[in-house]
Amino acid sequence: MNDSIFEKLRILSDAAKYDVSCVSSGVERKNNSVDGIGNASAAGICHAWSADGRCISLLKILLTNDCIYDCNYCLNRVTNPIKRASFTPEEVAELTIQFYRRNYIEGLFLSSAIEKSPDNTMENILRVLELLRYKYNFWGYVHVKVIPGANNMLIQKTGMLADRMSVNIELPTKDSLRLLAPQKRIENIVRPMSLINNEITRTIEDKKHFGNTPRFVPGGQSTQMIIGATPDSDKTILSASQGLYDSYRMKRVFFSAYIPVISSPNLPAVSTMPPLLREHRLYQADWLMRFYYFHSNELFTEIEHNLDLEFDPKMMYALRNIDKFPIEINSASYEELLRIPGLGVTSAQRIVRERKNAELSYDSLKKMKTVLKRAKYFITVKGKYYGNINMEPNLIREELRLREAQKQLSIFELT
Amino acid sequence: MDYLYDGTFEGLLTCIYYHYKKENADGIYLLSEYQQTILNNYLTVDTDIEEARTVSNAIINKISNEAYIYIFYCYLSDLKYKENIILDFLIFAFKYGKQTMNFYTHEKVLPLNEAYSRVAKEVHRFLGILRFSDAGGLLYSKFSPDNDIVLLLADHFADRYKYEKFIIYDEKRKKGLIYADNSWEIKENISIDNIETSQNEKIIQSLWKQYFTELAIKERINNNLQFQFVPARYRKNMAEFK
Repeated sequence: MNDSIFEKLRILSDAAKYDVSCVSSGVERKNNSVDGIGNASAAGICHAWSADGRCISLLKILLTNDCIYDCNYCLNRVTNPIKRASFTPEEVAELTIQFYRRNYIEGLFLSSAIEKSPDNTMENILRVLELLRYKYNFWGYVHVKVIPGANNMLIQKTGMLADRMSVNIELPTKDSLRLLAPQKRIENIVRPMSLINNEITRTIEDKKHFGNTPRFVPGGQSTQMIIGATPDSDKTILSASQGLYDSYRMKRVFFSAYIPVISSPNLPAVSTMPPLLREHRLYQADWLMRFYYFHSNELFTEIEHNLDLEFDPKMMYALRNIDKFPIEINSASYEELLRIPGLGVTSAQRIVRERKNAELSYDSLKKMKTVLKRAKYFITVKGKYYGNINMEPNLIREELRLREAQKQLSIFELT
Repeated sequence: MDYLYDGTFEGLLTCIYYHYKKENADGIYLLSEYQQTILNNYLTVDTDIEEARTVSNAIINKISNEAYIYIFYCYLSDLKYKENIILDFLIFAFKYGKQTMNFYTHEKVLPLNEAYSRVAKEVHRFLGILRFSDAGGLLYSKFSPDNDIVLLLADHFADRYKYEKFIIYDEKRKKGLIYADNSWEIKENISIDNIETSQNEKIIQSLWKQYFTELAIKERINNNLQFQFVPARYRKNMAEFK
């Protein structure tokens, strides 16, 4: 390895770092091949945390940043005068193995700009996978981007070797896409998504009949949307996600707060701060949809189409639907428990398990480390309400604000 | 009666055996750390594999397999009085039986649960942040975990690096996991001096360090959050922080 590798890695990881997905979860696989290296763990493993606090699980790089497209929001667009670099498939495979042997990473996340043509780029991505799986016998996690416009056969072959594939939808509506990425066509995004979904279904069906059928992308597919580059509301964004979860069985929809890097009449000014809190609220809402049995419609009202920035979406739901509360901890179903603000999946499971033996007390909730400072306004324990104030949305709101202000004050006094 | 054991898991289980078959235990302590006083009666227990097995079978059959695993994890923790957490738990659990582990918050069960989480969390963390370097074909890793977890890392890495040879060395406890050709063993009381780093190894490490450093998005720097995930004490053995 020579100096140029350092330069290539610098350019091509810099160009990939805004992609949010770094998860390595969803696949459990032992190292069963002769002379093979690597396995995959269903829960996923984080290997490092960079200075922005984000987890690094996969080596996340572009194969090339040399692009024929001219998407408005993208640093790699052809009209942007930046340094260009391309890895060879051999270099990517070698780097992945060397990092993997040292336990720096859980695998590879390979994306790419579109050099020459979509097919040519997809072929190079497939080549990396073939080298990793067959030459190096590597069975760690690999996530690859599908290049929109690449032919079905290439996508199909790649999916038989990858653990996860993703096609970035980029924006939640056709209009926004037309405005910012005029050369990307929605058909070219949707077509590979349905292809992947169909292949997953087919191999799952086949597996029922023939034991040894290899699974098509066993970790499923994911996608990503940019937040804050266009005026789309949170409701538009989350209904688009709901549609993706329902129709394409997405494993994840990722959100990426838009960081203005380019001046353009169609984009927010470069001085705009990235909408990080909004991104956080969208993730909370996304979590509610995936693990808490919420439908995206339940998170908005007729007039309010954006998530509240002061209170989290579950708290807002509870305040708007106060007639559904309080919920009795000792008799509520698991799904009902999950609707209580401050109560997560772990707490709900512990409650369900422990009350098999005996009725729970308020004290035992404390010991479970349930976040009672939010939950107490919405529950009863053995029939008793612990909120100390009347269960009215405005009073609860004021109380929560007061607690928050006191917390701020005590932090201020300490420093 | 205070029972003193030699630090092995079997030794600890033998003390539990004594509690039921001989005289009730007031407490179980590590022989090498026991402070004897005039007031305490104590007995040094000789580890007995058969007696230990009787106890472990009883735990699995009368309580549950889950309980057995939790007890083992607690034994590997660095908690003071972990032996008495286990003793108190077992006295309660042998009375209560198979449903004991549902009592997450019971005062005799909660400390065991907390000890288990403490160890399990550190194991999961080290599956990620353990770092190896290539010393002429041998993968070498050095770490100083809070709890005695090297054994719990064995299966994961033995599968992942099945056709490699590797050593994971706990520098705090001077013990190492040595793996080659599909089998591993734990060696106690060993010391491994710093292994010399080859030129190629240095290049890979600096590639990683460069990748790691530049991946951070400047607009979103959050060092406190990074410290929560990777506390300072773990950083000295990680290539990206050197």
